Amino acid sequence: MNLDQALQTFITESRELLADMEHALLNIDLSQDWGDQGEAINAIFRAAHTIKGSAGLFSLDHMVAFTHVVESLLDAVRDGRAVIDDDMVALLLACCDHLSSMTDGLAAGQYEADPDTVPEGERLLQQLRRRMGAGDEPAQSLAEQPLTVRPEPDVERMGQAAGNGDSDYWHISLRFGRSVLQNGMDPIAFLRYLARLGRIAGMATVADALPAADEMDAELCYLGFEIAFESTADRAAILGVFEFVQDDCEIRLVAPRGKVSEYVELIRALPENPIRLGEMLVQCGSVTAAELAAALAQQSQQSQHPEVQGEAGAQPAQEAPQRLGSILVAAGQVAPVVVEAALTRQKQAVEQKAQENRSIRVDSDKLDRLIDLVGELIIAGARTSVIGQRLHNAELLEATSTVSNLVEQVRDAALELRMVKIGATFNRFQRVVHDVARELGKDIGLAVDGEDAELDKTVVEKIGDPLLHLVRNAMDHGIEPAAVRVAAGKPARGMITLNAFHESGSIVIEVSDDGGGLRKEKILAKAVERGLVDPERKLTDAEIYNLIFEAGFSTAETITNLSGRGVGMDVVKRNITALRGSVDVRSVEGQGATVTVRLPLTLAIIDGFLVQVGSSVFVIPLDTIEECIEFAAEPGQDYSNLRGQVLPFIRLRSLFHIAGAPTRRESIVVLRFGKVRAGLVVDTLLGEFQTVIKPLSPIFSEVRCISGSTILGSGDVALILDVGALLQAVDGRGAVAPAPALPALAV
Amino acid sequence: MNLAITKHGAAPLPTQYLTFLLGEERFAVGILHVKEIIEYAGTATVPMMPDCVRGVINLRGAVVPVIDLSARFGRGVAAIGKRTSIIIAEIEDGEGKQVLGMMVDAVNAVVEIEPPDIEAAPPFGAHIRADFIAGIAKCQGRFVILLALERVLSTGEVVELSRHAVPLATASSRASP
Repeated sequence: MNLDQALQTFITESRELLADMEHALLNIDLSQDWGDQGEAINAIFRAAHTIKGSAGLFSLDHMVAFTHVVESLLDAVRDGRAVIDDDMVALLLACCDHLSSMTDGLAAGQYEADPDTVPEGERLLQQLRRRMGAGDEPAQSLAEQPLTVRPEPDVERMGQAAGNGDSDYWHISLRFGRSVLQNGMDPIAFLRYLARLGRIAGMATVADALPAADEMDAELCYLGFEIAFESTADRAAILGVFEFVQDDCEIRLVAPRGKVSEYVELIRALPENPIRLGEMLVQCGSVTAAELAAALAQQSQQSQHPEVQGEAGAQPAQEAPQRLGSILVAAGQVAPVVVEAALTRQKQAVEQKAQENRSIRVDSDKLDRLIDLVGELIIAGARTSVIGQRLHNAELLEATSTVSNLVEQVRDAALELRMVKIGATFNRFQRVVHDVARELGKDIGLAVDGEDAELDKTVVEKIGDPLLHLVRNAMDHGIEPAAVRVAAGKPARGMITLNAFHESGSIVIEVSDDGGGLRKEKILAKAVERGLVDPERKLTDAEIYNLIFEAGFSTAETITNLSGRGVGMDVVKRNITALRGSVDVRSVEGQGATVTVRLPLTLAIIDGFLVQVGSSVFVIPLDTIEECIEFAAEPGQDYSNLRGQVLPFIRLRSLFHIAGAPTRRESIVVLRFGKVRAGLVVDTLLGEFQTVIKPLSPIFSEVRCISGSTILGSGDVALILDVGALLQAVDGRGAVAPAPALPALAV
Repeated sequence: MNLAITKHGAAPLPTQYLTFLLGEERFAVGILHVKEIIEYAGTATVPMMPDCVRGVINLRGAVVPVIDLSARFGRGVAAIGKRTSIIIAEIEDGEGKQVLGMMVDAVNAVVEIEPPDIEAAPPFGAHIRADFIAGIAKCQGRFVILLALERVLSTGEVVELSRHAVPLATASSRASP
């Protein structure tokens, strides 16, 4: 196994686990009691624990040491010794960040603690210890208390008559799987690691499974161990040591002062000869010789009357004996109801995990290459069908149509590979909202909707920053302080809502707040003051609201370190425009504001419609086309009568200065982009065409109305029209909005 | 005509140059800039671009802009002749490598020019902008203008030109702040 590769896996996994941990931390509902927080706390604990375990495998001592303390605190929370509250969530989030920075350091080749972050780590550790101290018991004093101090639930115990054993040690019975060594695990390493949790008081090696020398396979592990272990760690912590081998190992634990019956169970469950095992238990110090004698006697008695055991054991004995839950119940540590709940949750967690694990990681470069090739395939396929049409060969045409059908499916499948759900991006904002709300001293929640809406990975990567800014802006300027909100009759807790949905070939992302909304007069006054608009001009509400996206515009009275420096909203708009998207804001004063970001689903291939003007061929994205009609205009006007509605149109020929006279039978392509509808006058309609977008050279960066180019089946180049920019360019000339503006906050 | 000249064929110093004709005048560009030479077979016009941008062509699946060198030198849009060719050039600018086509009237030959034979550009006298000239070389008894391709094909400058080129014909006079 390549250690570097393993380390990379560890880094990737750690990042994911930290993200999970953060997610769980942010989702803890502090108002709930432990029972309902349990799942989240367990998730956090599992993440911390796995990181610690894996870090241990790589001898990353600084990470292990730090995570250990985090884990201890979490453990205290799980046991109810410490109470999780807002401050603790903040502290644990800081710990997450610290671990992230350690992971980043690791990725950069830093295997030791980074001196720069050590003080931060120390500070966090101190806080963590203080929090643990704030629980009812400091960690150290726990050691002095016998672990059986936990409340004993009302479960009748097996073998009650035999009484408790005297041993203060945990007993661990280990049987390593045959393939442990082949899997790259060293049994000794686990024992060494175990020793970190406490002291190994005695150990007996079980070599009974070892075959004769000539039959032995040196690559297989035949060993088992019986260990008496002195530790204050709990069952989960000890089992956690063996987490990486638990799948192919048999591990049995008997708690300190365990019932003799547990040893009996143990002996019965193990494959070796009971007498021999008993000797071993005595040998490693877990059991005294006298107890052993009693236990063996009891065992023989039980094996004669198995049904007696069933009755005496009450309901737990009816469950499968191997299940951890039933063993725990039998050991009298947990109430049966709790176990049942935990089992259900465990099952759910496993199912969820299984679903996640059905995915594979692929280098995004490989995907890009696949998309490129599919793009070339489409061009080649289109070319073939053009030739087929020219030859009038029916058989060839049939074959090419089958091929292009398949290619179309390959294209869709390939594009789908790059599609990711926006949910992950949205969920990252839980943390942002949490942190920023704390910083601002406001109570703000985040509601997320439409997480399943999918869009191209490249778009997702680029949308994060603009969204971040919009969210921060809404929190800082949108949501009012709690007192103002209450006075206005709104709930004290402000809400930011992120929503995503698909609409006519675009994805629409909405960032809404239920704050004070935009104040028209103030924006207008500011814009006039800054010289952004002419005071004489009459602006519509929408135009006024959209002034906030102009460069150098900011209405915040106080400049905070979050926003309000007057940079940002214009940058947001620029970034979104660069993605061929658009941004719009609407607001109802006193009720909040909604910023709507509209983005293309993918940047690679679109369904296009070919039109010709003069000798130039243009591609119009099919999803912006409503219909095509024969050219007709009201006399002397640039609008047409579309079934009783006024349809303003643009003459592409004059817009683009294309030489030559129009053909006698022009057509109008009816376009719709967002809320705007308009016609486009072209010479000829050429039909649908799968369009592979080829980026245009940076030379054309100033060309509006053209979003890219493509290569036609004939090998000629056609330009793709940017319908949004096109309609915007003529907006002032009266392209109509068919529907009235939607009411704000219609999410 | 596709006499593809690859970089691999280029000898070290003395440097090789590709000479070509623009009207009657001879120009040369460093061979290392030249990826290939193709016959002119029409371009797709990009609207709202200055005259010097002739359009785009399909170069084996890549869309490559073509600069009309004659228009770039302010001599009016080139007429298409029998020997009109496009030199596909690769230049390095601030934004990385760019591949552009240069439309010329005819491609001549690859010549070797010794560094001592190259003189600096005269401060005046040449009928193209001084910063387009990398030097003037003597070659077979005649002068050849060596072009500074980075300047001639400067992306930034063309973008600047296109910004002031033809405005959208029907664009409204809507006040854009």
